[in-house]
Amino acid sequence: MAPVNTTVGEREAKITSADGPIVHPDRETLSPLGQYEAGMPWNPVEKVILERRSIRAFKKDPLPDSMIKRILEAGRYAPSAGNMQPWKFIVVTSPEILAEMEKDAVKVIKFFTFFIDYTRGNIIRRLLILSWVKWVIRFMKNKLHPVPFGLMSQIAQGKAPVFHGAPTLILLVEDKRGVASPPTDIGICGQNMVLAAHSMGAGSCWIGLVQVLMYLPKWRKKFGIQYPYTLNDCIAFGWPSPKADGMVPREVQLVQWYERGMNDAPRVTKQGE
Amino acid sequence: MKNFSFIDKFRVPTYDNPKHMKTADLFFNPRKCKQCGICVKICPGGCLVTDKVAKKDIFNDMKKAVKSGVPRVDVLKTGTSLCIACFDCGAACPHGAISIKRNFDPKHFYKRLTQTAEMVYPKKY
Repeated sequence: MAPVNTTVGEREAKITSADGPIVHPDRETLSPLGQYEAGMPWNPVEKVILERRSIRAFKKDPLPDSMIKRILEAGRYAPSAGNMQPWKFIVVTSPEILAEMEKDAVKVIKFFTFFIDYTRGNIIRRLLILSWVKWVIRFMKNKLHPVPFGLMSQIAQGKAPVFHGAPTLILLVEDKRGVASPPTDIGICGQNMVLAAHSMGAGSCWIGLVQVLMYLPKWRKKFGIQYPYTLNDCIAFGWPSPKADGMVPREVQLVQWYERGMNDAPRVTKQGE
Repeated sequence: MKNFSFIDKFRVPTYDNPKHMKTADLFFNPRKCKQCGICVKICPGGCLVTDKVAKKDIFNDMKKAVKSGVPRVDVLKTGTSLCIACFDCGAACPHGAISIKRNFDPKHFYKRLTQTAEMVYPKKY
């Protein structure tokens, strides 16, 4: 079982470790699919998964329609609970609508950050907002996590865009009547499309901030988001500029292994070390 | 593994307090950096800046200088940064000039329980 020489897309030379050697993709060996040996090189699927980075800088020209259809095909064939396929895809490629969405999203974010962003402004504003905002954060713990909070603050200051100037948006509309947990199915479906796109050399980025548009009846009406549908996520697609895919270091994870009796404590391993 | 205590459950960190937020620490090697501005362009939160350009300048094609200057992490008034340790900048850097030292770890309510502070590249098991 000799590893075969294959490349996934056209890529520039990438650095595989912080100070390690630069491996040119043409000379990089990949394992064939459908086999496993301890310590073998990555196979093409793993390579796409591990090198996928969320791309936030796109070229102006959009993806061809046939390619978008091919990406949607990967989403259509995603696994879902009870094969209910609780999704509806909306593709937005019109530059006019995209610009309008960006404008309105910034407007809504500016409105909300005016009331909750205590990291800007003078001391009086800070103390006033801090007196109650932590209660709001505690009850909207997912939407006001430090990461989106910081991002919304940057967007309100005009330092970061919402939709990254992407030429194509695919809105992942969720059907609330799906079996078990429809948000999970939406996640699987979206990740299928993202991996398909990256394997073809395109870039993508999940954008959850599309939720802020749902505060405006205008956009809910336009995209037909009413019961049983709800919109929580969209994915931006486009040609990456610059090419930013590559492996990054991640935190070592502690994993519990239950492999002995009922009364024994689990073995904890460090995944990645 | 860290515990999520009863106090943690109710104590929400102050987002711009360095004692409550451990944000990532990036190091830009000025000898390797060619000042191309790629990292500034792809930073998710727009938290990388240089003295000459910010993300919005590049985004609006208003990058004036050819050399954008060695980037740094933007710091709020109180001393915290917005870096979340995604290291997209390091993956995109064609010259390998960026290295990362710590992970992103807020305290109290948003404490991360199973992630350790070490950052490692994917390992071929």
